[in-house]
Amino acid sequence: MSMAEPIKFFETITIETPRESIYRRLGYRKSTTVLSSEEKRTVDRVIDHARSLVRLKGAALRAAIEDRDEKTVVLAGGARFRSSRLAVFLEGCDECLVMGATGGGTVMEAIASDTARDNLTEAVIVDAAASEMVDASLDWITRYYAGLLRRERKGLLKRRYSAGYGDFALEHQHMIYEMLDLARLDVTINEQALLIPEKSVTAITGIRTL
Amino acid sequence: MTLKANHRIHAILKDRCIVLDGATGTELQKRGMPPGVCPEVWCLDNPDVIRDIHEGYLKAGADIIYTCTFGANRFKLAQYNRSDVYGMNRDLARIARRAAGRKGLVAGDIGSTGRFVEPFGDLAFEEAVAVFTEQIRGLVDGGVDLLVIETMIDIQEARAALLAAREAADLFTLVTMTFEEGGRTLTGTDPAAALVTLQSLGADAVGCNCSSGPAEMVRLIGAMSPVRAVPLVAKPNAGMPQMRDGETVFSMTPRDFASHARSFLALGVAFLGGCCGTTPEHIRELKDSLQGLRPEGRLPHRVSALSSCRKALFIEQGNPLLIVGEGINPTGRPALQEELRRGRTTIIERLGRDQEDQGADLLDVNVGAPGVDEPAMMVSALKALSATATLPLVIDSPDPAVIEAGLRIYPGRALINSISGESSQLEVMLSLAARYGAMFILLPLAEGGVPGNAGERKDIIRSVYREARRRGFTKADIVIDGLVMTVSTDAAAPLETLATVEWATRSFKCPTILGLTNVSHGLPARKWLNAAFLAMAQSRGLTMAIANPAQEELMHVKAGGDVLTGRDRDGAAFCGRFAEGTTEKRRDRSGENRLPLEEKIARAVREGSRESIEALLKAALDNGIHPEDILSGMLIPTISDVGIGYERKELFLPQLVAAAETMQRGVAYLEPLLKKDRKKSAAPGTIVMATVEGDIHDIGKNIVILMLKNQGYTIIDLGKDVPAERIIGEARRVRADLIGLSALMTTTMVSMEKTILKARSEGLTCPIMVGGAVVTSSWASSIGAHYARDGVDAVRRADTLLRTTSKAK
Repeated sequence: MSMAEPIKFFETITIETPRESIYRRLGYRKSTTVLSSEEKRTVDRVIDHARSLVRLKGAALRAAIEDRDEKTVVLAGGARFRSSRLAVFLEGCDECLVMGATGGGTVMEAIASDTARDNLTEAVIVDAAASEMVDASLDWITRYYAGLLRRERKGLLKRRYSAGYGDFALEHQHMIYEMLDLARLDVTINEQALLIPEKSVTAITGIRTL
Repeated sequence: MTLKANHRIHAILKDRCIVLDGATGTELQKRGMPPGVCPEVWCLDNPDVIRDIHEGYLKAGADIIYTCTFGANRFKLAQYNRSDVYGMNRDLARIARRAAGRKGLVAGDIGSTGRFVEPFGDLAFEEAVAVFTEQIRGLVDGGVDLLVIETMIDIQEARAALLAAREAADLFTLVTMTFEEGGRTLTGTDPAAALVTLQSLGADAVGCNCSSGPAEMVRLIGAMSPVRAVPLVAKPNAGMPQMRDGETVFSMTPRDFASHARSFLALGVAFLGGCCGTTPEHIRELKDSLQGLRPEGRLPHRVSALSSCRKALFIEQGNPLLIVGEGINPTGRPALQEELRRGRTTIIERLGRDQEDQGADLLDVNVGAPGVDEPAMMVSALKALSATATLPLVIDSPDPAVIEAGLRIYPGRALINSISGESSQLEVMLSLAARYGAMFILLPLAEGGVPGNAGERKDIIRSVYREARRRGFTKADIVIDGLVMTVSTDAAAPLETLATVEWATRSFKCPTILGLTNVSHGLPARKWLNAAFLAMAQSRGLTMAIANPAQEELMHVKAGGDVLTGRDRDGAAFCGRFAEGTTEKRRDRSGENRLPLEEKIARAVREGSRESIEALLKAALDNGIHPEDILSGMLIPTISDVGIGYERKELFLPQLVAAAETMQRGVAYLEPLLKKDRKKSAAPGTIVMATVEGDIHDIGKNIVILMLKNQGYTIIDLGKDVPAERIIGEARRVRADLIGLSALMTTTMVSMEKTILKARSEGLTCPIMVGGAVVTSSWASSIGAHYARDGVDAVRRADTLLRTTSKAK
């Protein structure tokens, strides 16, 4: 592997609006949900409005896996993740990619404002759209690294793991927050490991040699 | 050497396609380069190996070999603790030079720094230019014949590299971008936009590499082909990568690879090679397949084109009129002026978004105001707009320093507003436009004041055009401003302007533009004058108008004018503009008047028609229907049906919430009347709701509250991040029948348990209901709580629980 890489910051992440996943998140099912074209236009308009409010940014860091056992993964620099599932997930990988993305604070202000004005219908659409767009930012970051890694004959695992799922305790979020220096993206973290603004996520995936 | 190489390239292109080499990385690995090393360092340590690869491609028929310097820039080399950028590039170029001898051509290979350039990343634009310049100097001194900037995913980085190439050397330069499956780069640029930006900035050839196999790349090249002004380049992979025995392989055979050559040539590709997975055999087959074939040398008819970082905009006679949004201009806008003085861009970003939503095709950007550092502010504004809007931008300033600052940073092809015939600035402005490949608005003004008639304006236009031609401009690069003067001071002025537009469009054959609103200055009801003037100008062939897209009347007239002048074929855009919710809605509503009032009310709730519910309820009351009957006989059963529809997934969340909000408005309308009558029927219960301590998610809770209120429950909403003590205290104070707790995270759901334990230890016996993304039914039971899956389920739980509960004490 190349010598230590610094954190890579992405000041502007550009994605296609993930309409299908936003609709799915809102409970839409093609086979059963009845939606008039007028209602669809309204939902699409609000999704476009959400898109204009979201400012997607991200950060990512390649880290060598220095040590591991069946319950722990230790990265270069000393970060220690205690999770059997994560250890199994990263089997066969000598590096991992730690990444984070945020949609910024403006969209949360808009959701709060819509809620306060009894416009909860728009608020739930904006909320779902922002969540899916931030997730899509992580897809963007993985596509970026996939392109870089291909030249090294390496690739990423298809899935990714986030703190707070399975036995990968949410408390690890504090460590990931520091590793990625998310403060630089105007993200903070509270005692309960909640990232603020709310539409912020982190994840880990593995890098393997092809 | 430089001139000779350029001549040689052009001479070859007259007769045949130029063959580029294939993949280098895989060839190095086959010859023993270990994984994880710096390829450039390894090649310098093993020069015979890289020379052998170069010679292999030359023997296979490649006309041009790429130096092994793809990652030889400051940032990439620093990862291997190397800093001798100049020396490494020079030495690797020399190896390629020796391999090529006199027969082959050597392209200095420049790849990405791995960082994104502002406004898309944290690398400053000028630093990016400096990094590439450093590399280019080494390549040039190493004896390369031309430069290739390849595998670019960020248009701004490609621009920085291209500017560095043009400023540091005078070499033929190819630029190739890498596109994703969706046909855009990772940063969202489509092939046509990339082409317009790079060819106007001075690339000698533009195209794609990597990305995909030949079949897919033909489609990408196909998007560039109709608007190319330079030869195209294609360097596809040997098919799509496949996993085989745990390894990635590119399995396309040399023959299959070469079979696409004709398709590329037909699209104007004049430089053809291979990328990942290709070998000297692929290049040999390619060379053989190109025998006797000539590249499509004829360039298409020149089209005026602008670009943003995302998309291209083509300006053609016969297309709908283009609207340049005029809103980003501090004149008469104190709030914007103040923001500019502070160097902020929030209002600018909002104006950009709003105008785009309102139908603008381009955005004029003017940041001139007293106390504003205009060049710096123009840079900030263009960066902010490039990141948030998709439209091409018009850089509006009389100051060459502002224009230059803007053109250098703008990640697309901009339109300069404007260049006039005034000799003091003509030379400087034309040079800037030429240097950065911009289009410009030609303003027919010169020394001696405003030319009063069309004849004088034509003379100025011809004179400026002659000067522009000397610098390589064509009419496709220019937009003629008809020069709008206010009718209140000169009644003949609009007609002179229209005559200028007609001449410029039909005789001089240039696109045209008007700053519309000037015509009505000083008069009342300006919007009608502006709209009338616009329609008249459209009939004279006007191409673009600087106007306010928020003015609906103007935009309607524009849409009508497009139909009447044949620019909106079949009137599709016009009909689409006015058909919002017509046919579908009309079909839905056709029988509505005949529906009984009860059904109309139910339909309004089901469809979330908040605007109509009050009128319908008033009609019901006027018909003598009792408010309680409206509530319990119409509204409540309807919302229950909506809940059932939601659970069956016949409705989704926005429909559920819209229905609930409509019901809420209806209940609020009936409430004063219900209170009068409701002496006997009390509210079904009081519920205290909160998102627990440490958690700030509340949208789910708010939906539950809405649903419960609609059922008549009295809700005390404590908000989010609420400590257990407050929840318990409030529950006692209001004698709550039920407590509802929400949490979205595993770290905060423990606060639910803490709240319940504390409540029970203090003797609070009312039931507690919990919900949230991470909460499950079994977990809820384990902590002594009742589980509600969503708003509909919460209503059901509350109804059930409150029949059997006791009040909080």
